[in-house]
Amino acid sequence: MARGFDHLFKLLIIGDSGVGKSSLLIRFSDDTFSGSYITTIGVDFKIRTVDIDGLRVKLQIWDTAGQERFRTITSTYYRGTHGVIIVYDVTNGDSFANVRRWLEEIQNNCDVVNKVLVGNKNDDPDCKVVITEDAQRFAKQMDIELYETSAKDNINVDNMFLSITRQVLNHKLRTTSNEQQKDTINLKNNPGTKRRKCCS
Amino acid sequence: MESVGDHVPNRLTGVKSSLQIVRERFKEDEIILYLFEAYQIKGPEDANRLLALVSSESGGTFAIISFSFVRTPLTSVNELIINKVFAIDESFQLRQDCKGSITAYQFDLSTAEDGPIKYYFYPSESASYEEFVAKVISCKSSMTQSDPETVLNFRWLNDYRQIGEVKQELKKRESEYIVYKDIIIYCSTWNVNNKPCCDNADALRSWLGCSERAPDIYAIGLQELDTPAKAMLNSTQVQASVAQWNERMVQSVHPDVEYEILQYHRLVGIMLTVIVRKQLRQHILHCRFKSVARGVLNTLGNKGGVAISLQLNEGYICFVNSHLAAHMGYVEERNQDYNAIVDGLRFDDGRTISDHDHIFWLGDLNYRIQEPPGQQRPGPLTDAQTYELLLQYDQLRQEMRKGKCFEGYTEGEIKFRPTYKYDPGTDNYDSSEKQRAPAYCDRVLWKGTRIEQLAYNSIMDIRQSDHKPVYAVFRVKIKTRDEIRYKRVQEEVLKAVDKRENDNQPQISVEKTVIDFGRVRFNEPCMRDFNVYNSCPLPVDFSFKEKDIHDICEKWLQVDPRKDSLMIDSARSIRIKMLADVHTIRGLLKKIRSSDNFDILILHVENGRDIFITVTGDYQPSCFGLSMETMCRTDRPLSEYSQEQIKHLMNDNSQEYCVTMPREFFLLIDYLHKQGSKLEGGFHTFESRKSLNTHFNVVRDWLDTWCDEEFPGTPQSAAQALLLLLDLPEQPLLEPFVEDLLASKSKSKAMDYIALLSPPKRNVFMHLCMFLREGIECQYYDLDLVAVTFGRILLRSSECKAWPDYKIRCSQFMRLFIKSDGADVLVNRNEEAGAGPRADLPA
Repeated sequence: MARGFDHLFKLLIIGDSGVGKSSLLIRFSDDTFSGSYITTIGVDFKIRTVDIDGLRVKLQIWDTAGQERFRTITSTYYRGTHGVIIVYDVTNGDSFANVRRWLEEIQNNCDVVNKVLVGNKNDDPDCKVVITEDAQRFAKQMDIELYETSAKDNINVDNMFLSITRQVLNHKLRTTSNEQQKDTINLKNNPGTKRRKCCS
Repeated sequence: MESVGDHVPNRLTGVKSSLQIVRERFKEDEIILYLFEAYQIKGPEDANRLLALVSSESGGTFAIISFSFVRTPLTSVNELIINKVFAIDESFQLRQDCKGSITAYQFDLSTAEDGPIKYYFYPSESASYEEFVAKVISCKSSMTQSDPETVLNFRWLNDYRQIGEVKQELKKRESEYIVYKDIIIYCSTWNVNNKPCCDNADALRSWLGCSERAPDIYAIGLQELDTPAKAMLNSTQVQASVAQWNERMVQSVHPDVEYEILQYHRLVGIMLTVIVRKQLRQHILHCRFKSVARGVLNTLGNKGGVAISLQLNEGYICFVNSHLAAHMGYVEERNQDYNAIVDGLRFDDGRTISDHDHIFWLGDLNYRIQEPPGQQRPGPLTDAQTYELLLQYDQLRQEMRKGKCFEGYTEGEIKFRPTYKYDPGTDNYDSSEKQRAPAYCDRVLWKGTRIEQLAYNSIMDIRQSDHKPVYAVFRVKIKTRDEIRYKRVQEEVLKAVDKRENDNQPQISVEKTVIDFGRVRFNEPCMRDFNVYNSCPLPVDFSFKEKDIHDICEKWLQVDPRKDSLMIDSARSIRIKMLADVHTIRGLLKKIRSSDNFDILILHVENGRDIFITVTGDYQPSCFGLSMETMCRTDRPLSEYSQEQIKHLMNDNSQEYCVTMPREFFLLIDYLHKQGSKLEGGFHTFESRKSLNTHFNVVRDWLDTWCDEEFPGTPQSAAQALLLLLDLPEQPLLEPFVEDLLASKSKSKAMDYIALLSPPKRNVFMHLCMFLREGIECQYYDLDLVAVTFGRILLRSSECKAWPDYKIRCSQFMRLFIKSDGADVLVNRNEEAGAGPRADLPA
């Protein structure tokens, strides 16, 4: 049975409780949105396969509980993650302020560097408190790409997911080719090392 | 065989019939002959299966496809998942073998590759079963009875078994993105009669460059390229000749367009060259070639066929150039050569000639004109009537009519003179002694769909051979993917397949995600139950996930069951027990200091999500396990404190205390002091403190309420409580100086460290020593036993425990403080300490 995809990546969505992590995921995987809020108590995942430059990439996207009390336990899910999506709510300043903490969580728990910063609920200018310029400045400073999205109005959601996927894919292709280069060097070096051993 | 009418397994009847739904899964020319509902036993569960007996028109074969489905009645084709494919070939067997089994309602399916695989069916389906078996048997026999010459083709099954779900779906929706693009194919055959290739660059132009429109593909077959003898003896010469022919041909094709040779293949004197438009090259995905040698001993290859297979966009094209057995009387041999090529030729991807959408067969087929009476030589005749007359006696047409060769092939109308045999260099028929009768030896035939012949003729101007070249031009509509539409369909298919996977994710729901134990008290077990339900149409396995504490839960909890399976629509009750006792209180208090809950459990659904179960409650603080410092910060009985308040006190690092020593400690010492000699054996064993009965809770409450009434227990239970009060806190009483004290060589040195202890700890220690010393002096307690018991509690240390003389050092230290003579120097200390790791430390 054919595998049906060229790459399989695990993405993780993190951020404060109520910023819309699950809504983003459901918008991306099922193209639906439900206004009623059901807090995620645990870790959920959905899959979606996308085509990036002719390569079929299967994404397994993990949606984590954002509540403070689950912080320790969700951090164990960072392992083996290829890319992390950090979400805040543009109508909630605290959730933006906490992004720094979430970035630390990533720093402490996984070796992957592929990240994207997402300001969700960007659909009502009257409610917006985290202005784009500030978020952009912060993102630049942290060297992360910023997307302002709305899961409700389906704004920028696909773009954001495709961007992180592309980032992960490029990272993988780059490291694979680096490894191949390393192998070549190793092969060249090996006889030399051996010789030295013989002499000593 | 007829397809099923309205037979639908009764259990599956839905709004849209199951048959209609299953039909959607198949292609147009695949007919469902029967649907039979069976099941398989997977673990403890029955797994429903739908067996579809299907026939394929294109393959002429039958198969059974076994589907699993998630729910009854079926509502959508998406719910069908193929779990097995059985080709009904020679090796296929359906056996009803129930020896030694509990049920007769079962059967096995097996093929050469698979099986036997067991299926069961419901007794209510017995009649259907009989019908199903009858149909399967009739399919199998129709296959074995078929002409042994016919190659059975199971290629259609590959769409159901070797490719993934996405490909299957894409294939099914092909009509939405497939468009047909016209291409012009020029096919030609020429027996060159071992003549060398012409030097003149334009010599072949009148032949290959003659078509009006520039063709997209040329397939040129030559025969008798060189004598067989030469071919074997001098390969470089042959290669030079081949190269020259190919070069000359590619130079002579239509001048308006740039061409290149895609592939050529040669079998002795038979060569097939495919030349394509340069622009077309990138659309050709695969190109393969093969040959079948016939001729002398059927192996030499002076006769036989070569073929080239190519995939252009989504269309598969095959060109065959064959040179069949010669001479008038050898019709049967020609038929045999043809059949040997058809049966024997298999490209590397497994494709046979007939596995192509468009097949062009050209060559010197060598069929002659069966000497019509009085018409042995057509002479100068050129009119249509003459050709018609001659063709009545054409062996190829006769054999095709009889079904002896080229079944399914078409040939265009012949409006040219027989192309064999001429005197080389002329347009005159053979004038040699043999006077061979003219014949239509050189032919072009085709088979397949969407092929239109535009021209079919011979080239009289080419005169170096005894044959004239014959060519045919075709317009072929090639299956091509419209990339934009394909992308859209692919996106939809990927989404649908993903959705299926997401929808079929195992799911369970839990009654609650917060398990609240309410009030939890020291040394009182309690428990809570909650339900988990299977909320999806599949059986689900769940388990509690091990956390980084290397267990699924904290020590004060017990979970039962830790894992289980849930059948469809079933529920399971899970029990969580909690016990804060001497073994777990230390950890629990530590947890309370940093968290609001007792634990978070991870309920993991196999192949699905994780659910966090928060275990919480209100721990009623008790003196047991609290540090002396915390107790000294209380200003009222512990029973009046809440978990939150005690958490606050536990995290308080200030040096301010309400009392000099814990009241609970003082109450116990005071009581024990008054009991004097009545405390028989109370401090005798170190382990006695660990076995608590429920009566102990009365003592606990007396202490936690600062009760004015008399002590409710025995002196022994008071002694036990005292030991626990000292032993249960996270830190031993003499921390952080345990190591220093164990290494101290004199009482005065040890006193220096004691002085540095926090006031509550120091006061408790001094008071305790005073109390014990008095008791020993009065001979209420035994010095040695007290020293051993208290030494190990006050100097508890997981690091120093490894020292070989750790126990001796503990009791010797205690002796310094509780022995009445008050000797300040340790007896034999130097000798004994020699073995300890701290011996080199300054005294």
